[in-house]
Amino acid sequence: MKKLQVIITIFAFLLCVILQTTVAKWISVFGATPDFLLIFIVYLAFKRGTVVAALWGFLIGFCCDIYGPVEWLGSATIAMTLLGFLVGLLEARFLTLRLSLRIVILALGFVFYDLIYLSLTTLSHSEMTHFFLTRSIPNGVYTVICGTLIFYFLFRSKHRKTHV
Amino acid sequence: MLKLGGIFRKFCAFGRGILVLAFLLFVASGMRLLPMPAKERLTSAFLSTVFYPVQYLVASVDDFRNVLGENEKLKEENARLRLELDYARDGLSELVRLRALVRFDNHWDYPIVTSRIIGRNPGRLVTTLIVNRGLADGLKTDMPVFSMSGLVGRVAKVASHHAQVQVLVDPNLKFSVLNVRTRTVGFAESFDGKRLAATVPAHAGIREGDTLVTSGLGGIFPKGIGVGVVKEMVPHDMDVLSTMVIQPFQEVSQLEEVFIMQKEPDWIVRELLE
Repeated sequence: MKKLQVIITIFAFLLCVILQTTVAKWISVFGATPDFLLIFIVYLAFKRGTVVAALWGFLIGFCCDIYGPVEWLGSATIAMTLLGFLVGLLEARFLTLRLSLRIVILALGFVFYDLIYLSLTTLSHSEMTHFFLTRSIPNGVYTVICGTLIFYFLFRSKHRKTHV
Repeated sequence: MLKLGGIFRKFCAFGRGILVLAFLLFVASGMRLLPMPAKERLTSAFLSTVFYPVQYLVASVDDFRNVLGENEKLKEENARLRLELDYARDGLSELVRLRALVRFDNHWDYPIVTSRIIGRNPGRLVTTLIVNRGLADGLKTDMPVFSMSGLVGRVAKVASHHAQVQVLVDPNLKFSVLNVRTRTVGFAESFDGKRLAATVPAHAGIREGDTLVTSGLGGIFPKGIGVGVVKEMVPHDMDVLSTMVIQPFQEVSQLEEVFIMQKEPDWIVRELLE
């Protein structure tokens, strides 16, 4: 069973990579693109908990770092690992299965990730502010919209169970 | 006791999570603190090995999408080219038909101006026509005028928006004709403003019904425009010559539209005229 879960997760990861590198730019709106990898990590944290989310966060962050600026290597890895772990922790300790809270967590997670990532890069304070306002916020909004749709689809069955 | 065990298990799981997190953050921070050459080596090593299949997969998806896009573009282009081809075919068939109608040879690549006849000289004999094209349309004197049936005449005078055409039966117009069958050349002219005739050698073997075209020797009309057919052969005063009476292909009185070939006279004729 666990092996199957791992295989499914690997396929989901590959799917997200493909979505992020191809589909995301096709559906970009005014330069804003959804972050499917971040949605994947948050979803994984909800489903599999802190350890798995942290491990996958590390892997995905590392992937982002490999394709990012060399001098920033490790920044996305740290940010994504922390994100996975913390979202998994929140899910385990405080949250029920309500979809609206998951969406809020996704939005907060996006902001958290970007803040950690930007603070670990070599950008100046003004550059960081500019980046956050012009890139992070539009991308975050788009990510939350996409995440809402994906989460609604993925958690639909559980929702029904909860309400029944 | 059971409750305490549960709390302990949860604590252990949480502690395990913290340990994993600490380890991962330690590794990530190590990467972060690596010197630049080491970072570059690490990045390039991963890109060329572990990430290669992923890149290949992503590139394939992108290629597939590009192929789809190209396919769409090619389909559109194909449809557009088909339309253009149909249009060109239509134009070509029209061109062939018009060339056949005016006996238009392929080597005539002068622009053609279509014009409507807006006036004729008021006398009983029609020797000139007025057409609705002039200098503004690029007309000049001595340009050949023809119809779908054959030669009509030449542009005699040009105003800004109209021109006067001297028709073949005008006694003041002389031009050379070529017998298509015998290749005999003769000078055609009209003596009475009605009939067209040409004097040719008596032994040339010209027969009634022979087709005559412009010879191109005069310098005004290009070679090959249909003029008419030999209606009758009349003996000349001089025994070595005979006169052929020509029935023009185009009856001037029935004309409504003519084509004007924007061909200026050959340089030698121009000099002679000047």
